[in-house]
Amino acid sequence: MLIALVMAPLALGLALLAGGRALGRRSFAVAAVAPFAVLVAAAASAGRVLDERPLTASLGWVPALDLSIDLRLDGFSLLFVLLVAGIGTLVQLYAGRYFGAEREGLHRLAGLLLVFTAAMLGLVSAASLLTLFVAWELTSITSYLLIGWTDGDPKARASALQALLTTGLGGLAMLGGFVLIGQAAGTYDLAALAAHPPTGTVVEVGLLLVLVGAFTKSAQFPFSAWLPGAMVAPTPVSAFLHSATMVKAGVYLIARLAPIFAEQGAWRPVVLAVGSLTMLTGGWRALRQYDLKRILAYGTVSQLGFLVVLFGAGFPEATAAGVVVLLAHALFKAGLFLVVGVVDHQAHTRDIRRLGRYGPGWAGPMAAAVICGASMAGLPPLIGFLGKESAYDAFLHGDIAGGGVVLAVLVGGSVLTFAYTARLLAGAFRPGVWTEGIAEDAEAAIDPPPAPRWSFWAPAGLLATLTVLLGLVPGLASKLVDVAAHDLDPSGEHVHLALWHGLNPALALSALTVGLGVLLVVGGAVLARLQQRLPDTAWGEQAFLGAMRGLNRLADRSTGLFQSGSLPVYIGVILLTAVVVPGWALLQAPMPDLPPLVSGPGDWAAAALLVGGGIAAVVVKHRMAAVLCLGAVGYGMALVFALQGAPDLALTQVCVDTIGAVVFVLVLRHLPTWFADVPSRVSQASRLAVSAAVGVFVFAFILVAVGVRVDPTISTEFIARAYEEGGGRNVVNVVLVDIRGFDTMGEITVLAVAAMGVYALARLSRRDRRASTPGASR
Amino acid sequence: MMRVLLPLPVVLPLFAAGCSMAAARRRWLQRLIGIAALSACVAAAVAILLHADREGPAAAFMGGWDAPVGISLVADRLTGLMLVVAAPVLLAVLVFATGQPGTEKEQPAFHPVYLVLAAGINLSFLTGDLFNLFVAFEMMLTASYVLITIGGRRDQVRTGMTYVVINLIASTLLVATIGLLYAATGTVNMADLAGRIGHLPGGVRVAFALLLFVVFGIKAAVFPLFFWLPDSYPSAPTAVTAVFAGLLTKVGVYCLIRTQTLMVAPGDRPIGFMLAIAALTMVVGVLGAIAQNDIKRILSFHIVSQIGYMVLGIALFSVAGLAAAMLYLVNQIVLKSTLLLTAGIVDHAAGSSRLAEVGGLARRHPIVGWLFLLPALSLAGIPPLSGFVAKLSVIDAGFADHAWIAVGVAIAVSILTLYSMTKIWGGAFWGEVEVVAEPSDAMSRRYGATAPMLASTAALVVLSLALAVFAGPLLELCQRAAADLLSPTAYISAVLP
Amino acid sequence: MSLVLALCTALLFSLGTWLLLQRRLTRIIIGLGLIGHGANLLLLLSGGRRGVAPFIGQIGERTPADPMPQALALTAIVIAFGVTAFLLALAYRSWQLTGDDLVEDDLEDRRIAATRSTASDEEVADQRELSAAEAALESSTGGAAPLEEAE
Repeated sequence: MLIALVMAPLALGLALLAGGRALGRRSFAVAAVAPFAVLVAAAASAGRVLDERPLTASLGWVPALDLSIDLRLDGFSLLFVLLVAGIGTLVQLYAGRYFGAEREGLHRLAGLLLVFTAAMLGLVSAASLLTLFVAWELTSITSYLLIGWTDGDPKARASALQALLTTGLGGLAMLGGFVLIGQAAGTYDLAALAAHPPTGTVVEVGLLLVLVGAFTKSAQFPFSAWLPGAMVAPTPVSAFLHSATMVKAGVYLIARLAPIFAEQGAWRPVVLAVGSLTMLTGGWRALRQYDLKRILAYGTVSQLGFLVVLFGAGFPEATAAGVVVLLAHALFKAGLFLVVGVVDHQAHTRDIRRLGRYGPGWAGPMAAAVICGASMAGLPPLIGFLGKESAYDAFLHGDIAGGGVVLAVLVGGSVLTFAYTARLLAGAFRPGVWTEGIAEDAEAAIDPPPAPRWSFWAPAGLLATLTVLLGLVPGLASKLVDVAAHDLDPSGEHVHLALWHGLNPALALSALTVGLGVLLVVGGAVLARLQQRLPDTAWGEQAFLGAMRGLNRLADRSTGLFQSGSLPVYIGVILLTAVVVPGWALLQAPMPDLPPLVSGPGDWAAAALLVGGGIAAVVVKHRMAAVLCLGAVGYGMALVFALQGAPDLALTQVCVDTIGAVVFVLVLRHLPTWFADVPSRVSQASRLAVSAAVGVFVFAFILVAVGVRVDPTISTEFIARAYEEGGGRNVVNVVLVDIRGFDTMGEITVLAVAAMGVYALARLSRRDRRASTPGASR
Repeated sequence: MMRVLLPLPVVLPLFAAGCSMAAARRRWLQRLIGIAALSACVAAAVAILLHADREGPAAAFMGGWDAPVGISLVADRLTGLMLVVAAPVLLAVLVFATGQPGTEKEQPAFHPVYLVLAAGINLSFLTGDLFNLFVAFEMMLTASYVLITIGGRRDQVRTGMTYVVINLIASTLLVATIGLLYAATGTVNMADLAGRIGHLPGGVRVAFALLLFVVFGIKAAVFPLFFWLPDSYPSAPTAVTAVFAGLLTKVGVYCLIRTQTLMVAPGDRPIGFMLAIAALTMVVGVLGAIAQNDIKRILSFHIVSQIGYMVLGIALFSVAGLAAAMLYLVNQIVLKSTLLLTAGIVDHAAGSSRLAEVGGLARRHPIVGWLFLLPALSLAGIPPLSGFVAKLSVIDAGFADHAWIAVGVAIAVSILTLYSMTKIWGGAFWGEVEVVAEPSDAMSRRYGATAPMLASTAALVVLSLALAVFAGPLLELCQRAAADLLSPTAYISAVLP
Repeated sequence: MSLVLALCTALLFSLGTWLLLQRRLTRIIIGLGLIGHGANLLLLLSGGRRGVAPFIGQIGERTPADPMPQALALTAIVIAFGVTAFLLALAYRSWQLTGDDLVEDDLEDRRIAATRSTASDEEVADQRELSAAEAALESSTGGAAPLEEAE
């Protein structure tokens, strides 16, 4: 059943991608069926899961690598599944209202969203690290295709690529980390790792690599740049992927691994440092934005940092707080994105300097936004407040190194959150707040946008209602949160969510947060001037562009260096390698016995012909003469063959050589008589060096090879059996025709093919010559 | 039975080539002969693999002369695997060529020469004799020389020249190597060499190991011997480039595996050297791909880069490493051919394969988009496609043997491979629709290419998906093959009882 | 096998290599021929000592020459002949098309080697646009258009 949970959206998604064109905008309604079914199924099995009896399923794939699709639905996974499926359904329905009916390619968007949903579901229910990786990469790819859905826009293509490369690089590092950990532990199964965590330097390195993966996926510092860029995607995509689900994947992984590995190596310091930095820098940059979606994007970055700190710290109270914050964040962030999408759709702008005047009929979406925003800012009696309180509480009483610093960061980050929430809400719904850069005339501000249809903002409204409900009646979610936290870290106490825990330091910190937040909002102008004064922290985007340019330049340089395009260079490198690499080994071979100087007087004559002809062929500048010198060398070879007892060979050599020389000369007729010198990329010195090296190598190796043989050659068999079995007296003939006749068959085939090639080329030449004037083939 | 079965993948295409030559005037008859012969090869290859997997290595002695006197054809699991993967690719590319306007229709020599190419490739996998391997190479290469220049255009002639000269030099080096080996051991039979090389002194053994590596490395396109490849492959007709990219270099890799495991003793293996070469090949290859702006050239550099992964697997000389190299090899044969066929479809549909000149193809011809996207993602190692399993097996084997640096390089190169694939996707498939020239027939204008072109490419894509689904059994087969290679007693006793 | 012949082999390889490392196709073909001869001579020398021609019934008490390398060399010579003939046909075609027998450099490689900027890369250009757009969004001047159209 668990497998079906993942496969159903996948199958429907692929079906829509392949054949949904006719459905157009109705694809979304069709698509919403799948996540809804998942939601229902998950809710139905909630009873069992919350009873600490997780659902499992396993699909074998490559047992040799320990790679299989292993799924386990425990409390934490159930929470995620409910969030992914629930928000997924809402987003599909919302998208059905968001796009105009005539828009092209909507079935592709619906299908891709479903495939992504399936991948995400697989990710959060993965029981094995490798299964998680498979789902992880699938989410990266679908995210790439989704962000780039408006592929005509270069900005969409660019940010899709940036997202893919950043998360892909992290993903690959993570894979390396997983393999290291898996090999050290002997298993990839999460439950087994939790029971017997592996240790050692290899594991510590592996953990760092895994963290890189998690950080890139969840847009942590310094990998945050891709997330704001991904806002070019249509709002339904941003609401689903880049706020509620995909970016949480890294957080999910950290949540799973932290209770097991938090004490090891540099895990805790790294995670806390990175999370803290992210929370602060994200919030800071959110305050500089004028685009509603970008405020939300940076806000998401900041909140992800918050979650990373909570889950990554690795002690039970923080983990439990993390679960609450996770739940709250999914609800309010998706809600806010959906409302921003409504505003954008109706008003055709997201710029806070131009928004603010609304007619009647906007009460619903405004209320939803305010509720979600208040939850984000951590105001009671909403679930966001509950989350913040738990977080403060955890770090007030938690007993880890640097806990105080982290607490201060959490407070600071929450203050910034309050401030940018105010910026968001005021910017969207109050007119005339930001006017710098805009002319004072009325035309700068837009007319009140038309009120949205009820069904358009209903999903956001639903999320806001849930936010209030869970805040007022925390008992509804308490069991789920408890089981989830317990599944992550069984050593913790049970969690009981309640709105009021009495007057305690956590409450005081909340009050402090709100107070400082209000101050920040009031002093907005001062803050803005301060931000203008400080150096721009947009180096993330610049760094990516710089890296891309640098990579391309490196590629050009490297290729320009190695791939010179010049044939002599290629030949030189090949020959040099062939000589130097084995030659170096040959130096360790024993010195061979030198053979006699000559094996007979004929050797001198043959040598004279060979050497003389060879040198002449090199030196001579007359084309025809050079070819004839080659012929002379061939005749010298024939002489050697004859003297060494190979008459067949000599005969063949004479024939081949003669015909070859004739053909060569015929072909040469149309070229100039003399060789002219041509500049080459290869210098004379290198030519000399390579040639000399080749000669020395051949000389040395042939002497060594002949000198070291101890075994009898197989040709003694030939001579013994050629007559009885082969039926011939000329052993070489018998070898060619019978013993090694298979070779001869190949040889004849080569001749036939060469002949066909020559014929084809000659036919072309003849055709060209006939078609053109005589002057063309000079 | 094996005596008849083993030579079939060689003899059938040769015979068909002869018939094809005789039928030179009737193109339809040539096509029929070609497709029938290659389909029969698929069946024979499957039979050989099944036999090798169940009963172990089998040998057939040509002319009845036993080894090491005569030539023997040997089929163990590795050979069977290579034959089974090569056969459908050869068939699919032939079908593709029949659908593509140009070479196949205009040149009567295409079919016979292509069949000889197929015969040469199969013989390279089957032969158990080093000089016969040289002859097989020559058959394969001469056929490739003709195919790469068959149009006679200026750029084809120029790049064909580079290709021919470099390969001639490589062939001469192979002959010289065989000569030296014969001088030192007195035999050219591979199984026999395995025994006799052990009788040589240490330095000589290592020298031979390295010489064999370099000679086959030229064919396999490792660093620094690969520069001829990106210059010559792209300008050949599409079907030709697809076969070259998918198969010719892989024959070189096969020979590397065979010679280094069979003829080189464990103590003499140049492991560190090979790891370094693997890393350099991966890096220089992928950087080359990033620098290019033409789809076929990008893919040509990828061939080189991916060879590095295979050499990495081989260099580990462990069951896991060799199995990973073989799995990678199988994947690459299918994926590379598919991708180059898709590049050919792009060229056909849009008139050019330069990224700057084409765009928006995914919207214009969605089928072509899918035909590119799936194999491209697989090549980049995205799960759950087959390339991912191959990559994971290499990483797994590498880490198990503590080859940290080489595996680290492999992982880094992976993201760069993904980058260069998105270069193609973003440049040619996304964006505003731009074409240089439209194709002339109605089917191509509607779907991107003619039916044979689309069907054959789709069949290969389906094959690559099957490789993903059956990755488990496939890897286990590769592991059995790897175990065989590392202790070659079964092979040797099949040849020299 | 004799020292002189071994030296000849080495010299043939050297001279052939010298001719290969330049651009004139005619010379390259001659060079290929020379190293081909060198390889064949190497094959012959690998047979060891010189002997009489291996004809059954005529050897008697003397040592026969090794027939194996002879057969191998013969096959190699014929194959080389076939391929050289093809190469010459190719050269002829090339001379017909270009009028000279220079082996030209690969155009695409030279173009990339000469590239100084990454202007021709589409995805870099896209990325630049994105960066510029993002910078504009954050500046306090001007209401930039939203990054995505809603309808």
